[in-house]
Amino acid sequence: MSKRLWFQLHGWFSLPVWVLFCFICVTGTVSVISHELTWLTNSEARANNPNDLPALGVDQVINSVEKAYPTADVMSVLTYEPYLVNAVIFTDTDKPYAVAYVNQYTGEVQAVNDTISFIEFMRTLHGWLFFPWQEGYSVGYYLVSAMAFVLLGALVTGLVIYKNFWRAFSQPKLRFNQGRKTFLKDLHTLSGVWSIWFMAVMALTGLWYLVQAIMWHNEIDIEEHAPLVAVSTLPADKQTPPTDLKAALAITKEKYPDFKPSYVMLPEHNRGMFNIMGSGDTIFYDNYAYSTSINPWTGEIAASKSPETMSGLLTLSHIADPLHYGNIGGLWTKVIWFIFGLILSGMSITGFMMYAAKLVNNKPVKARQSAPVNNVQEAN
Amino acid sequence: MARLQATWWQRKKYILHAVVLALPVWFIYQSLNPQFPALWQEQQAGEFKIAPMPLNEDAPYSHHNEYVKDFFIAFNQGDISNIRQAYLNIGKSPLPLAEFAKDEEGIMHGTNHGQHAHAIAPKTISADDKLWITIQTWQGQLHTLKWDIPSQFITQ
Repeated sequence: MSKRLWFQLHGWFSLPVWVLFCFICVTGTVSVISHELTWLTNSEARANNPNDLPALGVDQVINSVEKAYPTADVMSVLTYEPYLVNAVIFTDTDKPYAVAYVNQYTGEVQAVNDTISFIEFMRTLHGWLFFPWQEGYSVGYYLVSAMAFVLLGALVTGLVIYKNFWRAFSQPKLRFNQGRKTFLKDLHTLSGVWSIWFMAVMALTGLWYLVQAIMWHNEIDIEEHAPLVAVSTLPADKQTPPTDLKAALAITKEKYPDFKPSYVMLPEHNRGMFNIMGSGDTIFYDNYAYSTSINPWTGEIAASKSPETMSGLLTLSHIADPLHYGNIGGLWTKVIWFIFGLILSGMSITGFMMYAAKLVNNKPVKARQSAPVNNVQEAN
Repeated sequence: MARLQATWWQRKKYILHAVVLALPVWFIYQSLNPQFPALWQEQQAGEFKIAPMPLNEDAPYSHHNEYVKDFFIAFNQGDISNIRQAYLNIGKSPLPLAEFAKDEEGIMHGTNHGQHAHAIAPKTISADDKLWITIQTWQGQLHTLKWDIPSQFITQ
C-alpha cells in the first residue's frame, strides 16, 4: 500500500467524526477530574475534617440522615475519596428521589439534592451522551465505545505514515517559525507519538466497553445477579431481621480485612439482601471489585466476589474503568490522564485544521488575491 | 493527499456530523423532565389502597428468558412493612406464589414511599390479559387485585 493511501486511510478513520470524537475526548478528560472539580466548586460536597476525626461507618452515616429526616427511607450509600462527602440515596414523603451529602467525619447532612451529581453527569455524558437506555442497550453507549475503532485505526495508520516515529522521543520537533502548516504537522505528530501508550489504553478499554455493551444487549451475564432470600426461610411472623447493616459490614470486613465500602445497597423487600461492594488492597481493580451479599435473616454470606475468584471477563470489567479514567494511582495518575486527555482532544482539532489548511490552497483565485501575501505563502 | 477544491461540500462534510451533538441536549432535557403515563385507578385490598403506573407505554421487554414490564406502585394507604411478599404479573390469571418464588422477576420492591416491580408479562399483551398484584401479609392474608389493561398497551 502506498504512503498516500495510508495517509488517506488515516484521514478517513478520524475526519468524518472528528467533532464527536473531540467531544467524547473532552468530556472524558473532564470526567477524569470530576471528583476534584466537585471538591473545588461545591463546598457542600467537601468532607472537611479539621479535628481529624475518624470516618463514621456507613450505618452511622445513614443514622445521621434518619435523624435529620425522620421519615426518610434509605436505599443505598456511595462513598468516594476521603475528601468528598458520602452520598446517601433515599426517599421521603416529599422526595421521590433524594441524595443527602453527609460529612462522614462529623455526621452533618451538608446538602440534599434531587438530581444527579456533576460526577454522574459527566460520566453519563461521556459514556453514552445521555442517549436513553432501551432494555439492555443504549445507542449512545455503542456510539461512544465504537470510537475505539476510530482511535485504533488512527493510531495504527499514523504510525505507518510517520516512519521513524521514535525519533520524536529523542529529538522532539516543534517548529514555530516555519508557518502554520508546519507547526500543525509538528504538533499533531509530536502529540501522537507521545500519546501512543494513552491511545492504546483508551482504544483497548474502549473495545472492552463495546464487547460489554454487546453482552448486555444479548443478556449474557458477566456477573451473576445478587441472590434472593428463599421464601421458605422467611419467618412466619413480622419481625426485624436479626442482622443489621452494621453487622453485615462487619461480616464483610471479616471476610476481606482490607475492605473499604464504596457502594452499599440495603434490602428493598423481605427477600432482599445487603449487597455490599468495595475496594481492597489491589491497585488495578475498581472500587467494586470486592462484594458480598449478606442474608439479613441468617447473617450468612450468600454470595461473594473478589479479584481472586473472578473469571477473565469479570476481571476485565473491574480493571477497565481504573485504566480508562486513570484513578489507578490516585491524584497523580488522574493528572497524567487529564493532560493526555487534553492532548488527544487537541489532536482531533489539529487533524481537522490540517485538512482545512489543504482547502485554503484551493480557494478561488479572487479570494486568494484579496488575502495578505504572508498568509498565502504560509498556506502553500 | 490529492489537492482538494474548497467547495461547500469539501468545507462542510467533516463538520455536518456534529449535529449528532444536539441529541444529548434533548436527552438531558428529557432526563430532567421525565414524563410518565397516568396512574391507573386506585383499588383496595385489606388495609392497602394501591394505584399502579407503568413507567412507559412500550411493550414488555425481554429479561433473562422472560418478558417483563416495569411498574411503579403507589401505596395511597397501608403500611408497606406489613407485607411479607408481593408480586406483579400480566396474564390471564395471577401466578401462584410458588411460581414467583423461583426467580427474582415480578417481586415488589422499593421504599416506604413508593414501590416498583418488573411485572412478569407475555411477549405481547392481549385484550383478555390483566395486571395482577398478589400480596401476602405477615398475618398470612393473601390479597389479589386486578386491573384491565388500557388499550394502548394491547397489541393483539
